[in-house]
Amino acid sequence: MIRRPIPKSLALALGLASVVFLLGAYTLLARWQHQKNPDDTTIPSWSQIRQGLVTAIEVNARTDERWLLEDAKASGARLFAGLIVGVAGALALGMLMGCFTPVEAWCNPPLSLLAKIPPTAALAVFFVLVGTEGEMYVTMIAFGILPTLAMTIFLAVKEFPEELQFKAYTLGASHAEVIWTIIFPHVLPKLIDAVRLVIGPAMVFLIAAEMLVGSVGFGYTIRLQSKLLNMGVVYPYLALLAAFGFAMDYALYQLQRKLCPWYEGHRS
Amino acid sequence: MNMKTNKTPGWTLAGLILAFTSVSDSLAAVPSFSLAWSEYPSWSVFGVAHVQKLIDGREGRLGPIEKKWNVDIVLKEAEYDPCLTMYGSGQCDAVCITDMDVLNPSLTRPSVVILPTSTSFGADALIVPNTIKEVKQLRGRKVYGLAKSVSEYCFVRNLEVLGEQEKDYTFSNMDPGAAAVAMQQKQKEIDAIVVWNPFVLETLNKRKDAHVLFDSTKIPNEIIDTVAVAQSSLDKPGGREFACAVIDTFYAVNQRLTNPKSRDDTLIAIGEKFSHLDLASMKKVVQQTKFYGSPKEGTDILTGSDLKQIMTKVVDFCVKHEIVSSAPKIGYGSKPEAPGVALRFDPSYIRIVAQKK
Repeated sequence: MIRRPIPKSLALALGLASVVFLLGAYTLLARWQHQKNPDDTTIPSWSQIRQGLVTAIEVNARTDERWLLEDAKASGARLFAGLIVGVAGALALGMLMGCFTPVEAWCNPPLSLLAKIPPTAALAVFFVLVGTEGEMYVTMIAFGILPTLAMTIFLAVKEFPEELQFKAYTLGASHAEVIWTIIFPHVLPKLIDAVRLVIGPAMVFLIAAEMLVGSVGFGYTIRLQSKLLNMGVVYPYLALLAAFGFAMDYALYQLQRKLCPWYEGHRS
Repeated sequence: MNMKTNKTPGWTLAGLILAFTSVSDSLAAVPSFSLAWSEYPSWSVFGVAHVQKLIDGREGRLGPIEKKWNVDIVLKEAEYDPCLTMYGSGQCDAVCITDMDVLNPSLTRPSVVILPTSTSFGADALIVPNTIKEVKQLRGRKVYGLAKSVSEYCFVRNLEVLGEQEKDYTFSNMDPGAAAVAMQQKQKEIDAIVVWNPFVLETLNKRKDAHVLFDSTKIPNEIIDTVAVAQSSLDKPGGREFACAVIDTFYAVNQRLTNPKSRDDTLIAIGEKFSHLDLASMKKVVQQTKFYGSPKEGTDILTGSDLKQIMTKVVDFCVKHEIVSSAPKIGYGSKPEAPGVALRFDPSYIRIVAQKK
């Protein structure tokens, strides 16, 4: 029978086995490449990756800085600033669109169009409009995630049951109270789900911009070290990006469970 | 009518199979090698050679120069950085690369520079607003350009020539295209950029209040554009012929550049993808990117005593700036003359081509 449930222990074992399979396949690939060329650095062996990680972590003799630390500080600050601006803007816009039909009529067409433009394709436009300093990263991430998030929130507000809205008004609630104490809690878990989905694209926008104009950051180092064929440094950076994305996703999921415990049952 | 049409496919099929078998047999005997190239005046030559049917860059197809050398040149066009990665990871046999960038892949893949294609003679430049008259005014300001590239090398070497200390200046990474746009828009804090052509000419065309403070003319023949081939590929059957065919192709297009009748058309073809500069600007481009357009010029560079001194400077810079983890062992001459080196500058293939002409 299709869709038959399996025990949790088996699901866990299969998940772990898939990761072990990936690592094993990579090990074989690296070994095969090093048999062809023992000095190869493009598909690094595990020892080369370890050395690359050490290089990224230890204090650099020339710059007196730790690459990884400096890059994490720069990229982290840009990413969080962009996410905060984007999420706050999307929340305001989505709520307004969902609650007030003239705002919906005004904003819906441009947002629907903007949501279809990949920000990486419009990189040059961002350089032109906001320069190449820190504002550019924030603007690019914010504009990249805002249309999708705002539409998600707007649709979540639209889904809000009318009977609950009328019940709140009957009990004497004002417009502001209906929005913030009735509709917003309904929208919040869906907003968190949407933010979980846009973290990946936000990282893509950031890395793409840093590759072009950054003098520090994950994108800058990945581009530079790729060009220098130091894949032993690049791979730990990629692993860290994956780990960061995974950690953010998990943290948001836990936040959703804490703030909206009722939603877990609703979802299932 | 029907009988005829019924019989024809059988004969046609048999003919096609025969033709295919003979073609594949003949191609099977022709060794195939790949060359990764990116858009740049002296490297676009290979793309132009394909368009003008001197060679056929597709796999399994031969142009007249490939037939002459009995080798199949497969062209792989990509951006510059992916070309370096392709070459370093062994996905192509040869690559269009500068003398500075070839050091790194040679550490893991012994390489041979078979052909110097051009040198930067003004094509890399520091552009500043007219308010900045001397380099000392850049102290405390950021100079933007692509880090750990020929731009940074050009900047640092010019500082040395002027008797300045590198530590007094800040070179900040920025893609040359983005730096040129920022400069053209007069964005705040973008007072100085080091870029290469077409960005140099485009920026000067669009900012009449900007000028070149210094450029690569002060460090002649130090930034050399080349074609490098993996030693392992040269050692394969047909490797020598591949190197010769690549060189022959380069000089064939250069002959068209020197011929007044075909010069303009060839220049336009070279500039087609390189930039949207007009013919007059392209003429300037090829002045600032001096082609080593004849076998004599090529061998002069590869056999000149200057080359050793230049490469010592380039290697020192690359080690100091952590562009290479260690200095590769460099040799000059043919394989028997310089065995066991990581990087070799070998004029012998140019000589073979010159003799066969």
